[in-house]
Amino acid sequence: MKRSQTFFAAGTLFIAGIFSAAQAAELVVWHAYRGAEKSAFEKVAKLYETKMASKGIKVTTLAIPYDAYADKISASVPRGKGPDVFIYAQDRLGGWIESGKTVEPIGFYMDDATRKQFLPGMLDAMTYKGTVYGLPLNYKSITLIYNKALVKKPPKTSTELVNLAKKLTNAESGRYGLVYWYTNFYFHAALMNAFGGHVFDKDGKLVLDSPETIASIKQMMKWYKQDGIMPTEPSEALVSSMFNEGKAAMVFNGPWFIGEISPSVDYGLAVLPVIDEAGKKPMRPWLTIEGAYVSASSKQKELAYDFAKFLTSEEAGLILALEGRQLHTNATIYKDKRVSGDVVLKAFHDQLSSAEPMPNRAEMTMMWSPATTAMNKVVKGNATPEAALKEASDAIQESINALRKGR
Amino acid sequence: MNFAEHLKRSAVLGLAISILITLALSTWMFRAEESDLRLQHRQRLAVMHANALALAVANTNVEETGKRVSDIQKLDPRIESVIIVGGMQLVASTRAEDAAPRQLGREEKALFDLSDQIRTARETNRGEDVVRKKTVQIEEKTIGHIVVTVPYLSDGQFAGILQMKFNTTGPDVSGADIFSPAPDSYTLPALLFLAALLAGSLFRMSTERKVDFTKLLALGVFLLIALFFQQQRLERLERTVTQANQAIAANYLAAAQQYDRLGYLALPRDNSSVNLWDTDHYQRPLGLIAADGSVSAKTQAAYFDKRSGFLKRILGAIDLLGAAVLLMFLYGYAARTFAALKEHADAYTYVAPAMIGMLVLVFFPFAYGITLSFTDTTLFNEFLPFQDRLIGWANFKAILGDVNLYERTAGGIIWNYQNFYWTLLVTVAWTISNVTIGVTVGFLLAMALNTEGLRGKAIYRVLLILPWAIPNYITALVWRGMFHPQFGVINQVLQMFGMQPVAWFDGVFSSFFTGVATNGWLSFPFMMVVILGALQSIPKDMYEAAEVEGADRWQRLRYITLPLLRPTLIPAIVLSVVWTFNMFNIIFLVSGGEPGGANEILITKAYKIAFENYQYAYAAAYSTVIFMILLVYGIFQTRITKATESF
Amino acid sequence: MADIKTRNHVWLHVVLISFTVLAIYPVLWVLALSFSGQQSVGLIDLPKDPSFLERFRGILPVPAHWSVKNFTEVWTEQDFGRWMWNSLVVSLMTTALGVFLACTAAYAFSRFRFPGRNVGMLMFLISQMFPGTLMLIPLFIIIVKWMGLGNTYVGLVIVYATTAIPFCVWMLKGYFDTIPYDIEESAIIDGASRLTIFLRIILPLAKPAIAITALFSFMTAWNEFILASIFMESEANYTAPVGLRFFVGGFTSQWGYFAAGSVIVSLPVVALFLQLQKYLISGLTAGSVK
Repeated sequence: MKRSQTFFAAGTLFIAGIFSAAQAAELVVWHAYRGAEKSAFEKVAKLYETKMASKGIKVTTLAIPYDAYADKISASVPRGKGPDVFIYAQDRLGGWIESGKTVEPIGFYMDDATRKQFLPGMLDAMTYKGTVYGLPLNYKSITLIYNKALVKKPPKTSTELVNLAKKLTNAESGRYGLVYWYTNFYFHAALMNAFGGHVFDKDGKLVLDSPETIASIKQMMKWYKQDGIMPTEPSEALVSSMFNEGKAAMVFNGPWFIGEISPSVDYGLAVLPVIDEAGKKPMRPWLTIEGAYVSASSKQKELAYDFAKFLTSEEAGLILALEGRQLHTNATIYKDKRVSGDVVLKAFHDQLSSAEPMPNRAEMTMMWSPATTAMNKVVKGNATPEAALKEASDAIQESINALRKGR
Repeated sequence: MNFAEHLKRSAVLGLAISILITLALSTWMFRAEESDLRLQHRQRLAVMHANALALAVANTNVEETGKRVSDIQKLDPRIESVIIVGGMQLVASTRAEDAAPRQLGREEKALFDLSDQIRTARETNRGEDVVRKKTVQIEEKTIGHIVVTVPYLSDGQFAGILQMKFNTTGPDVSGADIFSPAPDSYTLPALLFLAALLAGSLFRMSTERKVDFTKLLALGVFLLIALFFQQQRLERLERTVTQANQAIAANYLAAAQQYDRLGYLALPRDNSSVNLWDTDHYQRPLGLIAADGSVSAKTQAAYFDKRSGFLKRILGAIDLLGAAVLLMFLYGYAARTFAALKEHADAYTYVAPAMIGMLVLVFFPFAYGITLSFTDTTLFNEFLPFQDRLIGWANFKAILGDVNLYERTAGGIIWNYQNFYWTLLVTVAWTISNVTIGVTVGFLLAMALNTEGLRGKAIYRVLLILPWAIPNYITALVWRGMFHPQFGVINQVLQMFGMQPVAWFDGVFSSFFTGVATNGWLSFPFMMVVILGALQSIPKDMYEAAEVEGADRWQRLRYITLPLLRPTLIPAIVLSVVWTFNMFNIIFLVSGGEPGGANEILITKAYKIAFENYQYAYAAAYSTVIFMILLVYGIFQTRITKATESF
Repeated sequence: MADIKTRNHVWLHVVLISFTVLAIYPVLWVLALSFSGQQSVGLIDLPKDPSFLERFRGILPVPAHWSVKNFTEVWTEQDFGRWMWNSLVVSLMTTALGVFLACTAAYAFSRFRFPGRNVGMLMFLISQMFPGTLMLIPLFIIIVKWMGLGNTYVGLVIVYATTAIPFCVWMLKGYFDTIPYDIEESAIIDGASRLTIFLRIILPLAKPAIAITALFSFMTAWNEFILASIFMESEANYTAPVGLRFFVGGFTSQWGYFAAGSVIVSLPVVALFLQLQKYLISGLTAGSVK
């Protein structure tokens, strides 16, 4: 695996320059997939090996449990260990870049064709302070999922939603029209964005306690308290249990949820409703976008980039979408009949028209706990939305200031 | 006189070893400091030249830029080459093989990335209104050959980077030789060492008296030698610093005259203006040399004081260490250690393997954590040099000094759940209740299962350890589900008996209870097994004898079972306390610290600080505080129960 | 007399049965979930104004449909058998190393009087006090970077054994202390060496304590997840807890699989306990002393 100094300028020819023909280069790729996603991913890796057969490149994939993934990257990559390419959502990207020695910038390698192949917004999630650090691979967002036995026609507006949900709610026997993890800020973001709220403004200033965000929390409280269409103390486990037992008519949830739905439930998907109270603006959920990053400690960065690029190609995209059930970022695959004919893939692709990437700033991590506390306080009636958000903002700002300390 | 006896009586070895340690460590520190000084000097010189050129080419067009760069490079042989990069373009280069301007080649990705990095650094510093990202990058792969990269501007905007290869191995303009290390003279240390030996051999100590003249004299001799040596070297260091600064000033003047001659210098040159060439790595002027090249003795002295403050503290610590070593010898601890090692060799052999593993794998991470707690390390600066991050006790002051525990309002007292002391209170309550439950239930069940002639004991035993056997990640989820206000089993049972359902996670106490219930359930099997095993060590004939003498069941429990359980039970309890204090999973998985973080314990707080707020050092300080609390508890507990002395 | 005994046992059974019900009730939910073939925890389904009996039926942890699908999926989808094997090897090695080192150290602490003894004991206790959250990076540096033991059983065994040793030392030391010293004295008079005494007399007498420390060491290694995932660099070397965590975390949580996997993972622990429990019921009094 000795790196030579000679590179070639164009195409993939350079790889021949890095390795003499006899040496088999090993490209190590880390991911957090299992099940169908994992098999599809491994298939794509094999395909890359076949394509590169003349150069004798071997791709070794390693699945790592999600709960250990970020720690494993942070422990190994800055110390010169770890993979050549790794895959992770954009939420940790900012942190890794700020700490350094983890993610390699790849803007230099990117050509226009590659930049243009992605769905709108995808590359933004991989861009940090004007520098591109990864190739977007797939996206996730929440959408409206409903039980067809209970909901004939999914609601298009919040008024329709409330009217329908009220009919389907019977609190005493534990049946609710709408169930989602509304105290979790990730899920709440869809409402917040509808009202035009943000966590950070364009310059990175914290604006969590803006009037827009407050209005969005009031809207959520209206659904919960006044309309009474949502159960208390929601959690991921509760949402899936209730939906699977026919106790939740509609849920807001993401593609990951599809695999958890019991075969006995006939479900449909629709775009999240328009919020009448927010001036008929649609709910805009956050997009979580997984990217393929080149490791800063990789000894073969060009090759690693080439593999990442292959992952985002149409050819790989079709396999990852159809077999791995991923929402791939390559725009062209959605023109394929097999993809556009797939109810689930199509539904989430439709939701993309009103969705926005979750911020990839390092400071985002500091937001979750205080925001969740604020949401819980409001829901339990211990604080007004204004007071709760103010308190959360102050706490977050304090943490941010501790990080942004001058030298 | 044998060796141990000699050790006890003579001061020579003590003085020799303590002086040797002190001189060696001090020399090592001075060498490190001097080498750091030389490094900084080289880099400062290179940065000054790069800054100068970057200022000279700002706002010029491509051709003019190329011309100015090559003019300057030709004048100073130490400037080996200069390149200027803007985006994907190599704007100018003095290297013969480069036909600038041209597109960057694939092997030049690092230049593109470096340019982007410096652009981001500038933007970040401006956007956040603090200076935390270096805008000057320095690489020194071989000593003396420095590659320095600075931004260059066009119309006040970032236009790209200027990278200069600067060679400091040749003769300096000023004629001063700062770069080669001053030859260490070993005459003085050797003389001092011999003096210590001589002085030591004259002293004979009395082993009886705590303080005698000889001991004081030995200590005095030690301090005299150590301080004299350190003072000598400090003065030498200050001379070097002054010399270095004068050399920079001479270099500045020489270069400024060249720039003047070429008409490239657009800076004021009077002694009240700031020197914009001589900057730190954040491009802030150092202020040691004025724009006219004059050096102020006052600023320089202040600079040296600031620089040597840390060194002086380290030297003080070294003196203390040396004195401690000396006292060890003077008071015979060394002799005793030596004798003990010889006498109890087999005991140490038995203990050593476990102890060594412990020292490497536990105490190294300890040292790491405790060191970290004296810095301000966060995600944003974790790879900065250690010395830059050192801040002393500030983290501890912030944690322990925050006494904003509650607020008095019209509606009554509002507790501040984020406060350290509140969390400490919760942690203590959490630990006491859990351990009490675990031990009580475990003890009751073990006693029950130890009953003779009880049927089905084997089945009970296996069923009762199941909470320990099943991964707690899932059982914690089940418990969380059981506490759900509407769908949870516990509220259903309450309603079965006509009671009102409880919103478990809404109240401070009820939420606390959910954690205790879950953790109590998880921890009693372990206690049960420990006590069951311990009960086997109690000989049955003792009970028989007691029964014969008419002791009732309570008396047998009080006077036989409990005292004989003590040796195994106390350690289990002490360790349980320690583990429960740091039990992270259950709080995290069951109540999540609700409501409003009221039920967080210290360790979950530390976790959040480290992994959500990325304040690694602050979290380390939190962990150190936890450690100190437990340490005090541990020492206290083992003292009063004499847990290490049980027969 | 016999009457009293029987009556007492009835009450004892009542107490034991109620505690056993409390102990296994959450476990039954895990079992119900694992045998449901579903991924989500079943909810209580109640009609309006439910009666006592209806509520009671609701809280019984019984799956709506029985299925072993979760088990077969867990076992076949990933290389779970191999991971169980890895876990077994690592845990048994940890147990062997931990118990051996702890026995020797505890024996010295119990039987010898030497300077530093108290400090040494305290050191073992102290080692448990520093919170583990920040230990990850230094441990990675020692084991993977310096010792080059990443991706090996040995690396994990060393760390796990060190984690388990302090408890084992204290537990064994306490137990050794209860073994009367005169047994050894007579052996010394008979000319037995320290080693012989340790192996032939002390260890057999301390079986209950050794059983507990063995179980404890085993469990320390058996359920550990984060270090195993960070040290291991190939899927073939993962341990069972690592494999189990694939089912939860991140966006998806396949709780059904996780429950089934948890049941599988806890079986060896139960088996080990069944093996060891005979030492917890026949102690010193069994006659070995005399």
